[in-house]
Amino acid sequence: MNQKELNLILDDVKSFPSMPAAALKLLALLKDENSSNAQIEQILRYEPGLTANILKITNSAFFGLPKQIGSIRQSILMIGWKKLIQIVLTSCVNAIIDKPVQGYELSPGDLWQHSIAVSVASEIMVKELNLSVSEEVFTAALLHDVGKMVLGRYVKNDIVAIDREELQDVPFEQVERRIFGIDHAEIGANILRRWSFPPSMVTAVRWHHDPDGAPKTSQLIDVVHLADVLCLMSGIGVGREGLQYRPSPAACERIGLTEAHLEKVASQTLQCANQIAASIQADS
Amino acid sequence: MNHVVAVGDMKTGCREDMIVTHALGSCLGLMVYDPAAQVGGLLHAMLPLSKINLQKASENPYMFVDTGVPELFRQLYDLGGQKSRMVIKAAGCGQPLGNSEMFKIGERNYTILKKLLWKNNILLEAEDVGGVASRTVYFDISTGQVIISSKGVKREL
Repeated sequence: MNQKELNLILDDVKSFPSMPAAALKLLALLKDENSSNAQIEQILRYEPGLTANILKITNSAFFGLPKQIGSIRQSILMIGWKKLIQIVLTSCVNAIIDKPVQGYELSPGDLWQHSIAVSVASEIMVKELNLSVSEEVFTAALLHDVGKMVLGRYVKNDIVAIDREELQDVPFEQVERRIFGIDHAEIGANILRRWSFPPSMVTAVRWHHDPDGAPKTSQLIDVVHLADVLCLMSGIGVGREGLQYRPSPAACERIGLTEAHLEKVASQTLQCANQIAASIQADS
Repeated sequence: MNHVVAVGDMKTGCREDMIVTHALGSCLGLMVYDPAAQVGGLLHAMLPLSKINLQKASENPYMFVDTGVPELFRQLYDLGGQKSRMVIKAAGCGQPLGNSEMFKIGERNYTILKKLLWKNNILLEAEDVGGVASRTVYFDISTGQVIISSKGVKREL
């Protein structure tokens, strides 16, 4: 690795786009059981773009509501305020990651598709296994690969070193660490920290390829990790590095995941993810 | 005409058509071709057995190898294809690093394919399966040629 390049990467993290202030305010509400619908409406009152996106997603096939809804208040009543906050974050994240990613060779929309799929797979996994993992799992999963947006350029520049024969059986995040001194998971965690995201989400993004390496293991990290591998295997937003990652058997054990669960989650993920992605992509 | 086959999907084509599927990870890509009738089809199946989610299988048989493969053959017969002339090639069925049985979905996809073909006295002409690679397949129906692309390198199957 070379220190100069690492410094450039860390500079890129500092100049990475910020999260809209409204999203952060709503995220804070997600933590607080006493949050009121009025507080949410208050924040969204001055965000016409976000409001439009919320209505579009709430009215999409994914939620399958019997009739079209036309206001934030109705939206909260129909899908609940926690889901609504997730939708807001989803539409903010879309604006940031719906771009091509060089190095990993992801076409425009690929990383976005992948992120949505991992979010959906995580939620389905939590439900299927009856885990008590917080709602944060959806947003953590949505942002798990945001670090690739920064590192992609460097991956492209150093592709010859990355393609070396002896690195082909090394998990890709470790290849990144050897070459750059940092990997896309740690970069992603740095970005979330700069955005003042909750520590649990920062940790989930940081350890999503190495859940056993976390200072304290958690089911939140395990779920994001396993949902990520599953979506890559399913070919949803898989990049140039393919399946060069190692799923953790210990993580499977911690959440009680079996072969049958894994395949069932995969079978349910695809359609849901396509519906959400399509509802946002329609006019963006 | 160009057809793009998404995950859990299948397309058939004839004469000058080109059928493409991107990002085969652990999914099975199956290319079936009848040179005399000049018809072919490409299946991109995600999971081995439909019993894991029968409802999904009835909505979309192409999600699973055990329901998708017979459906692909049926549609080619409808287009004038004949079993005795079919040339069959397989790609994908990869798996992540490590040796976790749970994540060998690719291997299970491949096993179910082989069982189906064996039961029907059909042989695989060529295959490019396994490993960590993500593969893109270009299937030229005018010639039956199958090109696999991975990490920017193309080769004929």
